[in-house]
Amino acid sequence: MNGGLLLGLLSIALLTATPVLLAMLGETLTERAGVVNLGVEGQMLVGAAAGFAATHITGSPWAGLAVGAAAGVALSSVHALLCLGLGVNQIASGLAILFLGNGLSSFYGTSLVGQQIEGFHSLRHGWLADLPVVGGFLSQLTPTVYLGLALVVVCGLFLYRTQWGLVWRSAGESADALRMLGKHPMRLRVTAVLTGGAFTGLAGAALSVDYTRTWVEQMTAGRGLLAVGLVIVARWNPWLALPVALIYGLSEALSLRLQSMGSDLSPYLLGTLPYLVPLIVLLLSYRASQRGTSMPQELAGVFRGMS
Amino acid sequence: MNLRFLALIAAASAAVTLAMQPARADVMVGYVYVGAKTDGGYNEAQDAGRLYVQKSVPGVKTNYLENVPESAQVTQAMERMIGAGDKIIFATSYGYLPYALDLAKKYPKVTFMHCGGAKLAPNLGTYFADMYEAMYLSGIAAGKAAANGKIGFVAAHPIPQILQDVNAIALGAQSVNPKATVTVVYTGAWNDPSKDVAAVNTLVDQGISVVGMHVDSPIPVIEAAKKRGVKVIGYHFDDMHFYPQGWLTGGYWNWGPIMASVVKEVEAGTWKSQAIYGNLKTGAAKLAPFGPSVDAATRKLILDKEAAIKDGKLDVWAGPIYGQDGKELVPAGSKLPRDKVDAMNFFVKGVVGTLK
Repeated sequence: MNGGLLLGLLSIALLTATPVLLAMLGETLTERAGVVNLGVEGQMLVGAAAGFAATHITGSPWAGLAVGAAAGVALSSVHALLCLGLGVNQIASGLAILFLGNGLSSFYGTSLVGQQIEGFHSLRHGWLADLPVVGGFLSQLTPTVYLGLALVVVCGLFLYRTQWGLVWRSAGESADALRMLGKHPMRLRVTAVLTGGAFTGLAGAALSVDYTRTWVEQMTAGRGLLAVGLVIVARWNPWLALPVALIYGLSEALSLRLQSMGSDLSPYLLGTLPYLVPLIVLLLSYRASQRGTSMPQELAGVFRGMS
Repeated sequence: MNLRFLALIAAASAAVTLAMQPARADVMVGYVYVGAKTDGGYNEAQDAGRLYVQKSVPGVKTNYLENVPESAQVTQAMERMIGAGDKIIFATSYGYLPYALDLAKKYPKVTFMHCGGAKLAPNLGTYFADMYEAMYLSGIAAGKAAANGKIGFVAAHPIPQILQDVNAIALGAQSVNPKATVTVVYTGAWNDPSKDVAAVNTLVDQGISVVGMHVDSPIPVIEAAKKRGVKVIGYHFDDMHFYPQGWLTGGYWNWGPIMASVVKEVEAGTWKSQAIYGNLKTGAAKLAPFGPSVDAATRKLILDKEAAIKDGKLDVWAGPIYGQDGKELVPAGSKLPRDKVDAMNFFVKGVVGTLK
């Protein structure tokens, strides 16, 4: 396999992984503040439908991304209301969000099926695109890929290099300590859920507006739930979200590449690669780590039934 | 929020109930779709048939339900339609068959029509068409358009209907370019736009210059082909307007006439359960319009071959046909028998892909 094909594999991996990466970042932020939101899939679907509709109406993919993010915020506010406001079990509330988002996006999205939108124009990479080998790779990348990469940096710096980030993480580690410092963990958690909603809505819009330029019911096909799982593989760390999302993307790209090279393996077996590989990474990384888990302590509380 | 959601459900079910009120019509016909009726693909082709029935059969009233999964939900959907007065039900998706067979026993006075099914019951008939003929012709366009002879194909599952299309494209392309190859990538799903796009990107990276597909909605594949600047042959429906510069041709279903004659026969009391098989000649499968990049000579060649297929002078499965491994499958002078076509389980020479 020469360099061009390898870069081709990487560009497919990046493009495929971007919506998942965005959703992972959103859920990382939410869980870092001590709340689990299993409704990511539903929020992505609502973001995808609303973003596609906005692009169809306004003709601007940027408007689509913004509206998609806003739709994600709107749906995640229901989660905030249910589990933070009313004290409903977070798992149950998240699942309710999942089904609600699924139903709402299908109901309102029906009229969008088969509509055509103008996506992003290809980025003018100037002299970069004329470079041998790398030029072809760069010309594949779309604005949402760069946006995803930039948000990894933003989230990483925010959580680990700012005072706000420290407070944010404290909400996930010890709400009581935060309260003693005179901060409001509840207010912070609401913000965290809504921020997660914005990221996951954006993730859905990236899928419909930029990557596939199409809307169909349930087009996320489980990628939202996958993102929630990958957050664990990435150990609630935005810096690790990128390599983990790329492992998923590369497995998917590889499963298709092997087919197109005439591999005799069953496509269904190859299709499990994107799920199998992160699982193996999870197992290996947990074995390697002596401390066992880096799950935020308050999050562990959710699973112990203390929430 | 909860209240609003309840109101939404109430409004939705009211709308459905209103849409299904029995009207003063001789025959009410119900349609069940597995996807949206505007998917630019499989379901839109079925709905175009419904609109044709609505327009061409006097006194008929049609109704439909979209996005009905191939599960017990379809039983509920069909029972609701029967309750609302439907006398004929078109169960348009492949996986609806077992549910339609069960209901056919329960409601002997209702006529069921299933698309692509192999089974019949006294009040359940089936309809399908040999789309591979149109795919053979599309393969000619692809073979002419692909300077390097490399054609790609995004397939949902390795099933006979899809293997027929792949082989027909390969044979058509090889009739104008003996070195033409078709590389197949399976997505494992009828409807996963993200996988469809990744599949197209993979194929383009491997050097293909024309891509075809057999998934429920061709739109993601067409959009991805547009992004990468490769040509495309369509399936299920005429979607040229999505990407005119790159559109070559394709195959699309024309179910209207078959559906209309079924409705008329049921009305007249002459309907009998049978498996209806259409093709290019009957007009149930059609060749899509040519895109502007297809030159006059290629158009003429394809239209001549279309006429030959309609006249029975050209058979897609006439030998010599060689298998993927180069072994002769059909000797010169003979044809692949119909039952072998229906249960196709091989790839012809020049196809890159697995059958598993």
